[in-house]
Amino acid sequence: MMRRILSNAIIYGLPLPVIFISLLIGSSDNIGFSAFWDWISATLDGSNSAPLVVENVIFNIRIPRALMTFLVGAALATSGGVLQAIFRNPLVDPYILGISSGAAFGASLAILIPLLSVHISAFIFGAAAVSLTYVFGYTKNSSSITIILAGMIVSGLFTASLALVQYLSDPFKLQAIVQWTMGSLHLSSWHKVQQSVIPISAGLLGLYLIRWKLNLLSLGDEEARAVGVNPVYIKVIAVILATMVTAVAVASAGIISLYGLFVPHITRMLVGASNTKTTPANIFFGGTFLLIIDNFCRTIFPYEIPIGIFTMIIGAPFFIFLIKKRKINWT
Amino acid sequence: MSIAAISIENLSYSIQGRRILDQVSLSLPADQFSVILGRNGSGKSTLFNMITGKYRDPSGAVYLLGKERNTLPEKELAKTIGFLPQFHQSIFPFSVHDVVLTGRAAFYRFLPSRNDHKIVSETLSNMGISHLQDKAYTDLSGGERQLVLISRVMAQGPKILVLDEPTNHLDLHFQVLVLEKLKLYSKSGHTVVCIMHDPNMANIYADHCYFMKDQKACDSHLMKAEHPSINLYEALYDTPLLQVRIKDKTIIVPKF
Repeated sequence: MMRRILSNAIIYGLPLPVIFISLLIGSSDNIGFSAFWDWISATLDGSNSAPLVVENVIFNIRIPRALMTFLVGAALATSGGVLQAIFRNPLVDPYILGISSGAAFGASLAILIPLLSVHISAFIFGAAAVSLTYVFGYTKNSSSITIILAGMIVSGLFTASLALVQYLSDPFKLQAIVQWTMGSLHLSSWHKVQQSVIPISAGLLGLYLIRWKLNLLSLGDEEARAVGVNPVYIKVIAVILATMVTAVAVASAGIISLYGLFVPHITRMLVGASNTKTTPANIFFGGTFLLIIDNFCRTIFPYEIPIGIFTMIIGAPFFIFLIKKRKINWT
Repeated sequence: MSIAAISIENLSYSIQGRRILDQVSLSLPADQFSVILGRNGSGKSTLFNMITGKYRDPSGAVYLLGKERNTLPEKELAKTIGFLPQFHQSIFPFSVHDVVLTGRAAFYRFLPSRNDHKIVSETLSNMGISHLQDKAYTDLSGGERQLVLISRVMAQGPKILVLDEPTNHLDLHFQVLVLEKLKLYSKSGHTVVCIMHDPNMANIYADHCYFMKDQKACDSHLMKAEHPSINLYEALYDTPLLQVRIKDKTIIVPKF
């Protein structure tokens, strides 16, 4: 009981305070709590007494960045949790399955040759990547490891293609491509938030709605058929939605590696294994936790470091830990 | 004569050019406990997979309660047949209640209803495992897991229940428990079909036995009329045997 209250407090109680704190942190050190308070009271008064720079930093930089980070964190964590359930594999996430690299390639291709919008192109190639991983990795006697190896190869393929795109780009486009493949959120803007809030929210809502069927899928295809459900249809929907939110997250913030791998494990520790509880937990905790990491990225060093570096540093030992734990079906 | 629960006509199946099933026809009676016996590789599991629809043979047909299997819509099919595949490995530590609840998945679109939850609790109590309800499925013993998986298919409430070696890897206690629960299920207006390896357990619990040898099924009806002869078992298992009569049942053991 105590445990449940505590985990609910972490998952549903933390987001607002953390978002609030994020608004007080940033490279403009002088804009802390008191400046923020002045801005709030000035705005509420209707008087325009707050300095313009404060309003600009908080309203045009920090708020969109906090929202963007929350959306991206929620998208990657939920997508990771769903993919782990339907691939029946606790070692996968959008990054490992190649979705992130595919989306990154798609987005950079759209920057080089602007035929499609960046988001749509990212989605198409993210979906292509996960389909390839599925086709390569699912043989009759495939194990958890086969799918990971297939994901690595697909990921490598798209990373190479991304390099090719960069090679062919002119310097200005190249700069744009490189900037967001580093996985940074510092370019967040209201414009980017507007572009991503609808596809990400819609995708997350869809995944939330099918959360009860995710348990069935993670028991296995045969077990789903055993109780009269054809797993293919619902699996395809789940993968499409997971790919969609990932692609939008990648197109907005670059590749944030392994975040979708370890957050679902943390939420499982908090609320148990059932996807009915982990799916909403991943949405809220996934958003909050990425904000916390991002706040560290912005404050530990005098210069901001790209968040993808940070999540990789947390994620890599976690991945090794999961392999060593051997609670996984290898054969 | 009443409609057969499962009626199979001319099913054949080959994997990589090797004949696994050869023109099998079989009719299993409704509301009874039937067992299919046979050696490894005799085609039992393939037959199971044809009944459950995993494998298909376009030139043959499977009828469930008189209706062609492939013509049944998904929900109707879920009400008609449920099955228990061999070997199951769970990756995530779901609670027993959650695992059994997935047995109701064919009947709700998004959320399981209160009734679905109620059926799960009732099934668990019928199976005598209510105390396991909140435990993690992955922490259970092999026998307890099997009871949970059987509860899961029973929660679905199919008229026909088909199981592939449900007593495999279980100790004697759980073998008896599982078979008694299945027998009970068959007594309450359901058809139970088990593929099994132990002819004695089959003799004790089943209403009918069917035999598979060399990719063919023989519908013997021997259990009903007279007891299957020892010669039949010797031919079935290619092993010299002895028989003992206990009460009105025949128990067979290897010749020693």
